[in-house]
Amino acid sequence: MKTDSHPWPTLLFLLATLLLALQGCSDYPKDPDKTLQKVENGILQVGYSDNPPWVVKTGQEPTGIEPELVKGFAKSIHATVRWHNDTEQNLFEGLKRKQYALVVAGITDDNPWKTEKVGFTRPYLKGNKKHVMVTIQGENAFIVRLEKYLHQQEKATPKHQQP
Amino acid sequence: MKKLKQFEFPQELVPDFEKAKRLEWITIAYFISSAIGIYLTMGNSQTMKTAWYDDVLSLTPPVAFQVASRVFMKPPNKEFPYGYHRAVSIAYLCSALALFALGAFLVIDSSISLAKTEHPTIGTVVVFGHQIWMGYLMIVALLWSTIPSVILGRKKLPLAKKLHEKNLYVDADMNKADWMSGAAAILGVIGVGFGWWWADSIAALLISVDIVHDGFGSLKQAVFDLMDQIPKTVTNEESDPLLEKIRETLASQAWVKDFSFRMRENGHIYLGEGFVVPAHQENLTELIASTTRTIEQLDWRIHEFVVMPVRELPKDESA
Repeated sequence: MKTDSHPWPTLLFLLATLLLALQGCSDYPKDPDKTLQKVENGILQVGYSDNPPWVVKTGQEPTGIEPELVKGFAKSIHATVRWHNDTEQNLFEGLKRKQYALVVAGITDDNPWKTEKVGFTRPYLKGNKKHVMVTIQGENAFIVRLEKYLHQQEKATPKHQQP
Repeated sequence: MKKLKQFEFPQELVPDFEKAKRLEWITIAYFISSAIGIYLTMGNSQTMKTAWYDDVLSLTPPVAFQVASRVFMKPPNKEFPYGYHRAVSIAYLCSALALFALGAFLVIDSSISLAKTEHPTIGTVVVFGHQIWMGYLMIVALLWSTIPSVILGRKKLPLAKKLHEKNLYVDADMNKADWMSGAAAILGVIGVGFGWWWADSIAALLISVDIVHDGFGSLKQAVFDLMDQIPKTVTNEESDPLLEKIRETLASQAWVKDFSFRMRENGHIYLGEGFVVPAHQENLTELIASTTRTIEQLDWRIHEFVVMPVRELPKDESA
């Protein structure tokens, strides 16, 4: 291509316009498999594994830091949570098969499953260990919505109450 | 045997050489900053990983240039009677090989990521208290790794031509062509935002093909240089017109009945031999000396031209 005609200003202008337009869109980024769309006003399948104080298994719904956050998030997108208890290994494999939209088990960012076909959220707490939740790989709309909720909660929680 | 003279660029080209060195320092600093920017926003995107390799690899030609420009000025000595020019070609061969091999690796890596249907996970990041999608930061990092590179490339090209500096030319040409891989990468990230997970691997594949292409071009050039190909213009498209001038000069000498000559490139400079069948034997030494002088004065690049009188030319050798 001939580059002598300086196409840069035009190209940059187009790109800037496109980005601004995208930023304005409420549904950008999108999910390849429409997880957020399916979950909103629907059912949020969550896998969990006992790991106090992050996840505490009880006779009924799990409690603990992470299940409480999940409940709050589900409420924010008008979803009903359906809980599934299993081992961490099985949960990750279920996530790869898209059986769950979300897995909580007190998992940290240095978990070796990070390089597998799953998606780790940004750490939702600033502490010694970077605690994360795990989602289906590449469902970016869902992840962005979840991370936004987690970020708000983090800001709302006073520092001294954080574990 | 005479040692080659210490090589220096002719006086009028020294400022250009200094400018080229300065631009290559800027290039090094720039690509380091660009690689850091890409690294910080990489996430698990295949495109960004490939763009990172691209930036790191773009460091090798300017580094090779800086190292070589220190070495090739060294005067010839007893151990190295031809001087140090070849060091340039060797440095160049190494960087070309690295480029080619890593490019090939990235082609395979990106293809695997496409075949495994890897969906890039791109979350959010908090910048100055604002939570934004990481993809936007990736695009900013990619723009920083593209636009200045193209500008640097365009500035270096004319210098490379003037200095007859092929490494610089290939480097500048690669920088100038960076807009293609930059655009592919940006489109890849935007595509991921639209839910097209494959856009990431496809963009990565395009970039790695471009790296292989660059690598192959440089590798060919480096090998040809080391094999003493006849001097080419810096764009490598045609034989240097200087060769024709030498032929004319030799042909115009009254004392030369028949001749043949060969030239080779040694870094920036040309070395060569002319085999001459003299028309007569009188004053031969003087005639040879004056012909040598005339040819060496044709251009600064002709560093040494040896005129060798012979009884006859080999049959299959035509001038």
